[in-house]
Formats: sequence, C-alpha cells, structure tokens
Amino acid sequence: MIKKFDQYRIFLCFIFVFSAACATTSNIYRDPNMDFGAIKSIAVMPFVSLARDNVAAERVRDVFINKLLSTGAVYVLPTGEVARGVARAEIANPATPSPEEVVKLAGIIKVETVITGVLKEYGEVRSGTAAANIISVSLQMMEAQTGKVVWSASTTKGGITVWDRLFGGGGQPMDKVTQRAVNDLINKLFK
Amino acid sequence: MNREPPIQEGKFSIAVLPIENLSGTRAPLKEIRESLIHMMGAKGFRILEEETLEKFMERNRIRYTGGIDKPLAQAFKNETGTGGVLITSLELYSDVNPPKIALTSRLVSTGEDPAILWVDGVGLAGDDSPGILGLGLIEDPKILSKKALDILTRSLGEYFGKKLGREHVQSVKGKFRPKTFYRSDVLDPDKKYSVAIVPFLNMSGRRNAGEILELQFIRNLKTFEQFDVVEPGLVRQQLLMLRMIIAEGISLANAEALFATLDADLILAANVFNYQDYQAVFGKPKVDFFVQLIERKSRSVVWSSVSYNQGDDGVFFFDRGRVNTSHAMASQMAQWIGEMMLEGSKRAQAAKVQAVDGNHR
Repeated sequence: MIKKFDQYRIFLCFIFVFSAACATTSNIYRDPNMDFGAIKSIAVMPFVSLARDNVAAERVRDVFINKLLSTGAVYVLPTGEVARGVARAEIANPATPSPEEVVKLAGIIKVETVITGVLKEYGEVRSGTAAANIISVSLQMMEAQTGKVVWSASTTKGGITVWDRLFGGGGQPMDKVTQRAVNDLINKLFK
Repeated sequence: MNREPPIQEGKFSIAVLPIENLSGTRAPLKEIRESLIHMMGAKGFRILEEETLEKFMERNRIRYTGGIDKPLAQAFKNETGTGGVLITSLELYSDVNPPKIALTSRLVSTGEDPAILWVDGVGLAGDDSPGILGLGLIEDPKILSKKALDILTRSLGEYFGKKLGREHVQSVKGKFRPKTFYRSDVLDPDKKYSVAIVPFLNMSGRRNAGEILELQFIRNLKTFEQFDVVEPGLVRQQLLMLRMIIAEGISLANAEALFATLDADLILAANVFNYQDYQAVFGKPKVDFFVQLIERKSRSVVWSSVSYNQGDDGVFFFDRGRVNTSHAMASQMAQWIGEMMLEGSKRAQAAKVQAVDGNHR
C-alpha cells in the first residue's frame, strides 16, 4: 500500500512534468524602452545566406523591403542607397555590422534604424518520399543612435506536413512560403 | 504601340540596324533581318540602303546595336538623312520543335533629340494555338519567324497610319498582377512623366535577362500616355560618361546625376531573379523580378513591387490559358505594373477630392 505522503509526492511529480507542456516560448525580443511608433525610416542590409541558393538572400530581402514599404508605416531606403552608405562607411561585412558601423552608416544615409538578417534555410526539404519547400529567416533591428539591438524575431514557414506525407504534392511554391514568412515577421514587428 | 502623332511617310526613311542577339543562343540573325527589311519594303517603307548603312557604321565605329546615343542620332540625320532608326532585339530563339521566337523592335528618331517613336514586341511558340488535331501547330521556325515579323511590321504600319489589317492588341490577365506592391501618392495620374530605365540587375541563370526585361518595360510603359520612356541608348551614354556602375541597385546620388543629365522625372530599376524559357514540349516559362521607381522631386521610392509568375499559373484544364514564352508573360506583368502605378494614383486623387469635399460640407 502506498502511503498518503507518497501519493502526494507522485501527484506533485505529475504536475511538474505536465505543466511543462503548457509553457510557451517566444522567439521575439522587443526593447521595452524603444518607441517603435517613432521609426520613420529603415535601411535593410544584405542578408546572410546559409542556404544553397545564391540569390535567395537577395530575393527574400527584396520581398521584405517591398512588404515593409507596402505597410505605409515606414520608409525603406533603396538598396542602392544602402550600398552607397556601406561603401562610404567602409563596412567590411555589411550583413553583420558592428554597433559602431551601424551608427556610422545611419549618419551617412540618414536612417533611424538598420535591419540585418540571416536566411537560415531556403528551398526544398525531403523526408522519405515526401518533399516540400521551407524557409527560415531571423531578423534584427538596430537603433541608429546607439547601434543597440531593439528588436529581434525569427520565423520558419513551409516544410513537410502530414498532408504532404500522406498524399504528396510537394508543398507550397517557394514564393508563397516566402511571402508567408515575411508577413509573419512584419506582424511580429508591428505587434 | 504608342499614341505619338504619326510621321508623314515618303520623306521618312528608316535605317534598320543589325539585330541585337539577347537570346544567348545562336540564331539566324542575318536571315531574320533580311526578312524584316523585305517585309517592310513590301509594305511601302523607305529603307536606308544596305551599302550606305554599312559605310556609315564603319565610319562611326558602331558596334553596339541595342540603342543609339545623341551624337549617333545626329550623325544619322546629317550623314544619311534618315528620319528613324529601327532597333530590333532577339530575345528568344529555339528551332527545336515546337519552335519559339521573341522579338522587340523600336523606332528611334534621329537628330538632336532622339526619342522612341514606336515600340512593339512579339513572343510566339509553335504550339501557341494547336487547334483541333494539332492542325494549328507550327513546326517550321522560318514560318514562325515570318509570322512574328509580320506582326511587328503591321504594328509599325499602324503607327504610320496605314491600315494593314489585324490590329495587334495585347490582352492583360489578372493573374499577372504584382504579388505585393507599394505605391506612393506622389505619382500624379494627370502629369506626364519622363522615365529613364537603368540597366536591371540580372541574378537569374539566363543570359541578358536584365536587358530583355528592360525592353518589356520600355514597350509596356510606352503604351501609357503619362509615361515617356527615355531611349536606353541615351541612358547608356550617360552611365558611361558619368562612369557609373550599378552593381547593387541605384543610389540617390546616382539617381540625382541621371535626373539632371537625362531630364527624367522617374528612374526605374529592377532585380531579375528568374527569367526562364524552355525548349521542346515539356516545361514552363518562369519570370520573377523586383521593381523600384524613384521620383525626382521627392527623392524617394514611389513604387516598389514583387512579381513572379509561371506559364501554367491558373491553368487547370487542357492547357487553356497557358503561356508558352516568358516574353508574353513578362510583357503582361510589366503592363500590369504600369496600370497599377496610374490606377492607384487615380484612386488616391479620388480619395483626396472626397476628403476635400467632406471638409467643405
């Protein structure tokens, strides 16, 4: 026979184990002291590409710039202007600038924030006979005055679903998956 | 086609430049040009004699045939007396059955201020209209080339006010709209804009995809009364003179220099990610690009859009509605962008008028 004390201990263990399932994790960081409503201009730096596709990072960057502009909330500098600023600020690696470089760049091209990004995955993934398109991106926003990170978020869209495993179909086209990922990131930015 | 006033024929002779090959493959350029000259001659156009053109090109050391700059336009006028120069670019050529061809031609005026008078293009595949039991299939590339050249010469004839038969009208389908876009209210639908198109960045695997898409925009923006497109030869000349290399898009400093030298109101730049045609039967064309338009006064981006389409988009039964060449697809995508630039501005204007009316009441 189990003693009453042991029963209590088992009950506590169950609570401890199953309460972990209720926990939520967030992949967004927002600086509580930053006034995001005051941001009027943004420079989007070239993204780091960890994918096999050579132009994927440029493509995702252009879709992101376009979506950001279409919100009407902020103005995004033309990519050529950002490139000019990078050249003038002599930034060796524009995809991963240091806080000092961000401050210098923002002074040249007159922006309030700078966004950098990493394209972690882009293209087709396979699992057994099933295949589908996937994208995984993470972004960081840095304040121009201090070079401090004020916002960071990541997203993953697409991938192989149960439907793909059962019926095939190859998942959604890459363009649509990219749009979904970019929409998700913008929603996280304006949350 | 455009809405410029037609020039009185008779006195107006045309110099047909050698065809610029953007197809990235070997093509019978000489034969295509001879057929074009023959067809134009048969339709009553005055063509500059071959020998005179050859001597002129030799004298002026012309190697680039994709456009003309100011000194060259002036030299054409003074030395040969021609009123216009016909610049033709071959965008696609495949003689594998079913054959495919895509051409864009434009007529540029000579003299002090060269301007695009007429521009049109055609993209055909042998299996565009197979018909019942495949009776409509075209298997001979020469027949297809003739058909394409006939469409172009008819369109040129219409520009000169001649009635030569069927009108070449392009229908635009909704599926070719940009997938996302940004449009500023700065664009005024009642104002006429001079647009300079800078070389597009080609990130696709297709050779010359930037130049090909640039031609599509020249052709389609020219169909709108509000847009006057600067001859690309002039843009090229200014880029060379200013020693400007557009490696990662156009900067505001570069844009300002071009605005000043070309007297343009807008600068159109783009990145081409995919421009794919296919050979033989299996495959589909794919076009994917990003466009930005910079305005002179506001020094800001007034239009930005992302467009991508495949030849079988929205096709469900019996290949109905399928597009077989990226030329035909890109042309409609560019047409949509032009329409939406102006349509959106009209809507914004209407909203402003409504707001003003509301305030008065």
